[in-house]
Amino acid sequence: MNHDHHIHQHENGTEETNRPLSPWLVGAFMLSLCWGGFYLAFNSGGFRQDVYESNAVNWAGGGAQAAAPVDPKVVGKRLYTQNCVVCHQPTGMGVAGQFPPLVGSEYVLSQGNMGENHLVMLVLNGLQGHFMVKGQAYNNAMVPWKQLSDEQIADILTYIRSDWGNNAPAITPDFVTQIRKETAATTDSYTQEQLMAMPAIKPATVPGSSPVKK
Amino acid sequence: MHRLPTLLSGIFLVFLASWLGLVAYPALQLGRLTPVADADNGGTLPPVYGGQAIAGQRIYAMEGCISCHSQQVRQTSITSSDVERGWGVRPSVARDYLRDSTAFLGSRRLGQDLSNIGVRRPDAKWHFVHLYHPSAVCDGSLMPCFSDLFLVRKIQGQRSDEALDLTGADAPKEGYEVIPTVEAKNLVAYLLSLRHDYPLPEAPIKKTGPAK
Amino acid sequence: MIHATLPNQQKDSGLKPVDNRSIDASVRLPVIILFGNAVHWLVIASLLSLIVSIKLIAPGFLGGISFLNYGRLAPMARDLMLYGWATQAAMAAGIWLMARLCGCPLGGDKGDGLGGMLLRTLIISATILWNLAVLLGTLAIFAGYSTGVEWLEYPHWASSMLLLSFLLIGIWSILLFDRRRTGRAEVAQWYLVAAFCCFPWIYGTANLLLVWKPIQASAQGPIQSWYCGSLLALWLLPVALASVYALLPRLLDCNPNRRHLATLGFWMLLLIGGWNGMDRLIGGPLPAWMTSAGVVAGVLFLIPVFIISINLLGMPRNETIVSSNFPVRFFLMGLYALVLVGVIGALDSLPDFSGVVRFTAFTEAKAQLWILGAVSLPLFGVLYEALPQLLGRECWCSTLSGRHYIITLVGLGMLIALMLLGGLFTGIALTDPTVSFLNITSYSYPFHLMECVAQLLLLIAALILGVNITRSLAGDYLLNKQTGK
Repeated sequence: MNHDHHIHQHENGTEETNRPLSPWLVGAFMLSLCWGGFYLAFNSGGFRQDVYESNAVNWAGGGAQAAAPVDPKVVGKRLYTQNCVVCHQPTGMGVAGQFPPLVGSEYVLSQGNMGENHLVMLVLNGLQGHFMVKGQAYNNAMVPWKQLSDEQIADILTYIRSDWGNNAPAITPDFVTQIRKETAATTDSYTQEQLMAMPAIKPATVPGSSPVKK
Repeated sequence: MHRLPTLLSGIFLVFLASWLGLVAYPALQLGRLTPVADADNGGTLPPVYGGQAIAGQRIYAMEGCISCHSQQVRQTSITSSDVERGWGVRPSVARDYLRDSTAFLGSRRLGQDLSNIGVRRPDAKWHFVHLYHPSAVCDGSLMPCFSDLFLVRKIQGQRSDEALDLTGADAPKEGYEVIPTVEAKNLVAYLLSLRHDYPLPEAPIKKTGPAK
Repeated sequence: MIHATLPNQQKDSGLKPVDNRSIDASVRLPVIILFGNAVHWLVIASLLSLIVSIKLIAPGFLGGISFLNYGRLAPMARDLMLYGWATQAAMAAGIWLMARLCGCPLGGDKGDGLGGMLLRTLIISATILWNLAVLLGTLAIFAGYSTGVEWLEYPHWASSMLLLSFLLIGIWSILLFDRRRTGRAEVAQWYLVAAFCCFPWIYGTANLLLVWKPIQASAQGPIQSWYCGSLLALWLLPVALASVYALLPRLLDCNPNRRHLATLGFWMLLLIGGWNGMDRLIGGPLPAWMTSAGVVAGVLFLIPVFIISINLLGMPRNETIVSSNFPVRFFLMGLYALVLVGVIGALDSLPDFSGVVRFTAFTEAKAQLWILGAVSLPLFGVLYEALPQLLGRECWCSTLSGRHYIITLVGLGMLIALMLLGGLFTGIALTDPTVSFLNITSYSYPFHLMECVAQLLLLIAALILGVNITRSLAGDYLLNKQTGK
């Protein structure tokens, strides 16, 4: 290693020359600054605090993500977790002998003599006494949930009809409203006999048309 | 710039630009976000954590979970792979971290993103077994065993409700059981509280299409 | 080697610059304490980094003991690398360079009197306080008192101690600039003033808002990223660049840089550097404009990088000097590392690319290259240059120095290449939602395996440096002085 340099004194110190910058360099820098400016202008969501998606430019104001509809299954799952999971479990399997499963349940899927109205009625007004689900006997009480709104009940039912292998059409809030009106006089929880005494109503799959009475 | 005051002023002013943008602005704007009302059940969004979950955040910090796990679902304008992978129904926004004491955003994904783990894995028992021996539950996992968060003790009378269901090489000796300590329970309570599946004004949940 | 300028360039005050020997004598003890401790922390940090990378291929390694979990060792390794090695070596380099460039001993006119002695005692106590804070902070993470904020895991009492000791040391560097006895300010001096001003501001703000009195967590993300970026770009990098600006021209024995290019590079670095950290948060939970600002800053950061490297790498080089002089080689390699950092940073700021590689080893590689390459290599250069002059004798064993140089470069090159490739691979696999996460983990196994080898090389290099500096400080004389190495 050459050590002489650090004792050797320069003759002319550390003078700095001032050769001009290459024009190519200046050009490249200017170009990149321009790019930066344009990028920032068009990808900043109008510099709004509530816009998080960077390709949503909206200079006129009003968040670019306003009015996107909410997925009922997602809301339904959240509500299910808050309200129903205690008995019916996160897996929808219930507790053997105590709380019936929702997976493959004829009540949930509106199979056989069951209509969607039965499902909505038992959620609104509750169920008590002996009842059979998937061939198993139960003797328990389900509390009424009429304090939930029509939208909430519709979302929960839509969710349980679409998860865990269940596959049944969604329930609309309008249908819940209709059933709630029809059963407004009911004060006590249904027994299975009372529930099945009412004819099944299966809403048509086309929204807006009147439901079909079986 | 041969005089200190001139140089210092220049440095101060130039540095101020990034300080204003990245410190002052977040502190004054994002730092003053408030919860919004939850139309569905009269609560607030983001939901309030329980006491166990708050204590669990300390355990999360202590064990350095942030070294391997992130807690943010990225905006779809950058990449939709986080949402598509099922790590969240919508991208995360600043308001989601309102209730945390520390935003564990993370910068490395040696393990999964955890911002919605409370939705994907709502079962506390699964979490306990996973923390005790991760590779028994997830084959090939790089996660270390947090066996210090658990107690192996002699069964007194009846097997405890909290005892972990372990099989094979993990199972304790005959007559012994593995139960979670308070720290483990707090940590799992925190993990179960991690869910960003509610909509916010700036982050609605987009309709995902026809039912399965 | 750095000499005071000739009398016809002295300041109007009429004071002649002091000779180098007196300047070195005034800073000797603090700088040696700082450099010596820095190297020993480097060894420990390298060891911890190796253990941590082994845990990625064998999670059961040292398993079962909560203290030795990945989540505790990884922050310890990183914080030791940042605060134990890099910041401490930067402080040492900064003080020595500033004192020499200003032609003024530390403590200025107080000289050998009581005032000078008190000042030196104060500074030496501050250096000891710094190391105590690093040690205790690291042990606190080990014991489970980590704050959980990345890069700021030291508990509040440790970070306060760090800030206090920095202020006690750094203030003198800035005052030296004011009291300098040389004429025109050099670029290196601007960088040092900027660095010593920015660090307390950056460290203090980040700790105040994230650790001491945490603000609402919705705001913490950008501040933490700002801290990471600013620490690297506005504290560590300026000191490294100051070393290169100051020493490289003198060692290469040529007329150095173009002043207005250097000026432009300096101000652009300060302007854009602060935004540099946002590439850690592209697509994150922040308003869109902050993400876009991060994208723009990451790409525009190439501007100061290119200006500075054109300036410094464009100097005419005498090949015999380059091949025989370790500091020069370290400086040049550090500049190449900086260019690579700029390129990687620009790439991973582009939104689509960031969407693929963020959270993988790719973005981690940029930080590692910055700390271990663009900052550490020039600091090694300063260390090799400064120590003989401070001790007043040739002290380095050139065999060991040569081994250190080669093994560091090979290890670093290997580590960065593997992390970039592995990160890219992992990132691309992650974009396909049908590939399970555990599958992807198994794909990255070979990369992690080779990264262990690279970390082992870096540990060996650090050990070699540790042995070298210990021998030097213990007074062993140079053996086997080989020329032409």
